[in-house]
Amino acid sequence: MRKIVLSALFAFAITPSAQAAEAWGIEHEKLVEFSARVVDVACTLKNDCPPDCGGGKRLLGLVTDDGKLRAAAKASTDFAGAVRDLLPFCGKTIQVDGLLIENPAITFVMVQRLRENSTQEWRKAEAFQRDWEALNGKSDEWYRKDPLANRVIAEDGV
Amino acid sequence: MLKYLLGAALLGAMLPAPANAQSARVQVKGELVDTWCSVTGIMFAAGTAHHLCAVWCAVGGIPVSIKDADGNYYMILRIAEDDESASNPRFVKIMSHEVTVDGELIERDGTKYLFVTQVRDDQGVVNLTHEDNGIQPFGN
Repeated sequence: MRKIVLSALFAFAITPSAQAAEAWGIEHEKLVEFSARVVDVACTLKNDCPPDCGGGKRLLGLVTDDGKLRAAAKASTDFAGAVRDLLPFCGKTIQVDGLLIENPAITFVMVQRLRENSTQEWRKAEAFQRDWEALNGKSDEWYRKDPLANRVIAEDGV
Repeated sequence: MLKYLLGAALLGAMLPAPANAQSARVQVKGELVDTWCSVTGIMFAAGTAHHLCAVWCAVGGIPVSIKDADGNYYMILRIAEDDESASNPRFVKIMSHEVTVDGELIERDGTKYLFVTQVRDDQGVVNLTHEDNGIQPFGN
């Protein structure tokens, strides 16, 4: 029963609204909608800048209009970050809808939706799911079928 | 000459300053965690109870951090020459491990970013939490 309740709560929490960013009830969270420039975080901090923001292999972030650097830690896809959502906009300013987590120990952003400007419709940040399915086939639970994850779990156990 | 000085001064004023950024050499000891679950506390996100989820999150590109005994988070952007910080298989294979690393710490806008120069020690998974907390988030 506990498993079912946990699964239901988790599934509910990670289902983004079609209309606006959704609160998760996380301590220190704020619902935010803001414009920001997409950056390679390591490039921004150390001027270590490969082409194309690292081509999807580096953590990306958002520099807000007031100069704040926010790592993009999470997207709408379950257990997935926002690198693949942000990569097409490397160096560009976009609009982001999501959650800002300002924990005293660390600050980052969950990107739930994004668009290039206000004339466009919002789109959900679920590029990881799209790209994973293109490689591995359709799955509602990509994480249970991921070859690398399953190999590591098989070797190490849970 | 005055033109050059004025030009240089103006250029300096226009460049974005790395607001509150600080750099320091550090040694950090702690557990490799998926930053999202560990910080948000959505589930019991530590040790063996969370290893499955930590692996999934690392594959999915959730930033990996070292969480030390004081609750500090150090978001990893590099390990030695390896500058892949998203979905890096190297991270996936050592999630939940207790490690000691040397590196350069740059703190900006409330987040500690770590550029690891050397992994001094890797104790493997030592935080055995699954017996008390089960396997998170869905059980096994």
